[in-house]
Amino acid sequence: MVVEKVRGAAPAGALPAGRDAPRPGRRWSRYSGRTFYLFVSPWVLGFLLLTVVPLGYAFAMSLTNFDGSSSLWRWVGLSNYRELLHDSAAWSSLARTLVYTAIVVPLSVAVALGLAVLLNRRLRAVGLFRTVFFLPSVVPVVATAIMWKLVFNRDAGLLNAILERLGLGTVTWLVDPTAFYALIILTLWGLGGGMVIMLAALQGVPVELEEAAVVDGASRWRVFWHVTVPMISPVIFFQVVTGVIMSFQVLVQPLLLAETNSIGAVTNVPPSTHLYMVQVYQEYFANQRFGYGSAMLWVFFVIILIITLLVQRSSRFWVYYEVDRDQKD
Amino acid sequence: MTRRTDRAGGTYLLLMTLAVLFAGPFVWLVLGALKKQSEWVAIPIHFLPEAPQWSNFTEAFTRINFLAYTGNSLFLSATYAVLVTFSSAAVGFGFARLKGPGKRPLFVVLLSTMMLPSILTLIPTYVLYARLGLVNTYWPWVLWGLAASPYLVFLFRQFFAAIPKDLEDAAIIDGCGYGRIFVRIFLPLSRPVLLTSFLLSFTWIWGDYLAPALLLDIDHTTLSVAITQAYRDPHGNYIPTVQAAAAALYVVPVMLIFFFTQRYFVRSVVMSGVKG
Repeated sequence: MVVEKVRGAAPAGALPAGRDAPRPGRRWSRYSGRTFYLFVSPWVLGFLLLTVVPLGYAFAMSLTNFDGSSSLWRWVGLSNYRELLHDSAAWSSLARTLVYTAIVVPLSVAVALGLAVLLNRRLRAVGLFRTVFFLPSVVPVVATAIMWKLVFNRDAGLLNAILERLGLGTVTWLVDPTAFYALIILTLWGLGGGMVIMLAALQGVPVELEEAAVVDGASRWRVFWHVTVPMISPVIFFQVVTGVIMSFQVLVQPLLLAETNSIGAVTNVPPSTHLYMVQVYQEYFANQRFGYGSAMLWVFFVIILIITLLVQRSSRFWVYYEVDRDQKD
Repeated sequence: MTRRTDRAGGTYLLLMTLAVLFAGPFVWLVLGALKKQSEWVAIPIHFLPEAPQWSNFTEAFTRINFLAYTGNSLFLSATYAVLVTFSSAAVGFGFARLKGPGKRPLFVVLLSTMMLPSILTLIPTYVLYARLGLVNTYWPWVLWGLAASPYLVFLFRQFFAAIPKDLEDAAIIDGCGYGRIFVRIFLPLSRPVLLTSFLLSFTWIWGDYLAPALLLDIDHTTLSVAITQAYRDPHGNYIPTVQAAAAALYVVPVMLIFFFTQRYFVRSVVMSGVKG
């Protein structure tokens, strides 16, 4: 949609050659091209130096046995990648990341949509509710983790206090296997950003369209599924794509939820929240295997790229762009 | 009529329940910050503190050099926010109002970098910075700030693209170059966007954990790292009540920014998400 507008802009050379108007000519267009690059140069340089170079550097490191400090590093070719193929810890952490994503993304998109639908109705104090649901998503991750550690605490936590009052017994939340659910709960708590986006999308759906369907005798539920959801499907799609990318790179939450030793540096992340990025982090900083960690990063980069492309490809099957596609099913 | 109110009643009940769930952790944090250490571990659990322990807050200040860390956080966040706001505004201006070869593919690349996980580049960046001797300095944040943020570029581009072209045409006839048009006309017009960008980027750095944890040692680090690592008794165990107090203090600036600029905040979230 954005690109559309850019396409509308005429290329610099194709300015209308008015007969008597002073034609800007070559010199002008070259000037304006230079000005364009002058203005966008902060980002272009930044992208090259702070994104492309680190990625390339990571790739170069991945071909060595660099340990992060010694200068005695050796070219090892693809052996890091070969080792990664047989690294069951890495693969199981990747599988865990996939499971986590498969649970968290649909759930948070569905809940955010549900909340948005509720808050799109004319209700009293609707602004207050919106704020309450949105607020958690602006809380910094460190504070989120400290907060939830207090809630999940085995002996003194809010959740166990409530469970105990209800006579349900207590749960050791931050230890396996429940640590995984704790991580999911913490993630879902921050879905307010998605909710706000869905709410804005819902408010963009023309009321006449839904009313027309009601007049035609469709139930509220049918109107929702066959009119409202298709209308906002591009936004839902955007939520899915960004959600997948974000939950793939989750690292800080498991690190901060884990127990720390007295120095606070080394963390014992429970196996069930040992996601792929945690594994990478451990290879770098606990095992001092910078070369191997870089190989893991690069493989991950490619995997994320492929999955993003796949999700993008799938959009043609369920994102509403034309009228007749909707009528087929 | 009654059916309608019944339905609304059900909705309210559902919303209230959910609101309690969403607000629960906040409430528990504040209650924890006001409890005595002995109350915090008491069995059965005390939901409410017997007498609010305001001393937890003073302890949060004195057990670590809270003010120094706050200063570090403020300095880093403000430096980054000022730099990134102006660099992103300039880049946004370029994409919105100027022409140049390869502009369209460049913009597509910019949009795709919004999708690129920043974490993938962070660790190699850290290694690079370590080799360049930039670890434990604030230069990385200056560089990040100068490099503009794709997200904010997009925000500015959308805003600048909507400004009528007559304005810049008139200025060009008057002999203005694009540099002056940007500084004298577009920047003054975009005060709300500048403010939004500043607040957003400020809260990003204020809330960031990984970059300061990797790049700064414990004396130069930000509040976000400090409150996760300090606040332990001589045995190395956390003092949850004091840490809760510190966490509550740490969140206050973000909350203040949010409450006073709710509209801007929400609008920028929406703009980033509904672009389709």
